[in-house]
Amino acid sequence: MEPVSELGSIEREIYVEATPEVVFDVVSSPEHVRQWWPDDARYDPVPGATGEITFGEGADRTVEQLTVVESLPPRTFSFRWTHPAGEAAAEGNSLLVTFELQPSGGGTLLRMTETGFREMGWEVAVLEQRYAEHVTGWDYYLPRIAPYVATLEVRP
Amino acid sequence: MSPAAPDRVDDELWSAIGDPTRRRILDLLLAEAGGTATSLSRQLPLTRQAVAKHLDVLDRAGLVRSTSVGRERRCQVDATQLARAADQLASVGRAWDARLQRIKNLAEAIERARQGRDQG
Repeated sequence: MEPVSELGSIEREIYVEATPEVVFDVVSSPEHVRQWWPDDARYDPVPGATGEITFGEGADRTVEQLTVVESLPPRTFSFRWTHPAGEAAAEGNSLLVTFELQPSGGGTLLRMTETGFREMGWEVAVLEQRYAEHVTGWDYYLPRIAPYVATLEVRP
Repeated sequence: MSPAAPDRVDDELWSAIGDPTRRRILDLLLAEAGGTATSLSRQLPLTRQAVAKHLDVLDRAGLVRSTSVGRERRCQVDATQLARAADQLASVGRAWDARLQRIKNLAEAIERARQGRDQG
């Protein structure tokens, strides 16, 4: 059977009382990124540039590859990460993180999407969560899978 | 999940459920509170032997537990292992919530500092 890549995603939204220019800088430039995520970040925030982000120190040190995909200040910044060192980042070997910024009031609506999780495992896990919530059982919510599946990004 | 294991999910576990046929088998096992290779093969376009192979993969990943009933193996979904997959997803979500809160705090501090400079 042909493998089909069906990808699950996480989406989050947060309102920030700062201009899109400031928020863009915070989500894209390595010196800011290391303040809200890894312990160290080394990359050029330009499309195609590849670098590393490092978590922990000494024996607990974990290094992850990071490749910038898109940089359109102050609206969009996206990158791929977790691909094996020496491999080009692509769908299937990495997670894609996208930040979208929208001016709103005096501030910015920041939308984050992370895509690339195995959809099938994702779906089972979501079902399990719902199962825990609805003790009425599978008869109740098996028919309700479809609306959830429709929200998944599916690529042949 | 430690900060040193960012957003990683258990690949072996997810590969086992990443196959559409095995996903269907899990669905049936959950819906019917268990089953055997024979009972499952009646509901799937698969031979009993093919179903048994998929059950082996699920067994190795710890997703099903089997007990012998007469000459057949009766399989049930392991709720704990399935819950682990759910936990991994929830922890990825929590990690992003924390990161976004830090992004917000940082950007707002920079913005306030800028406005302070402009006024002063």
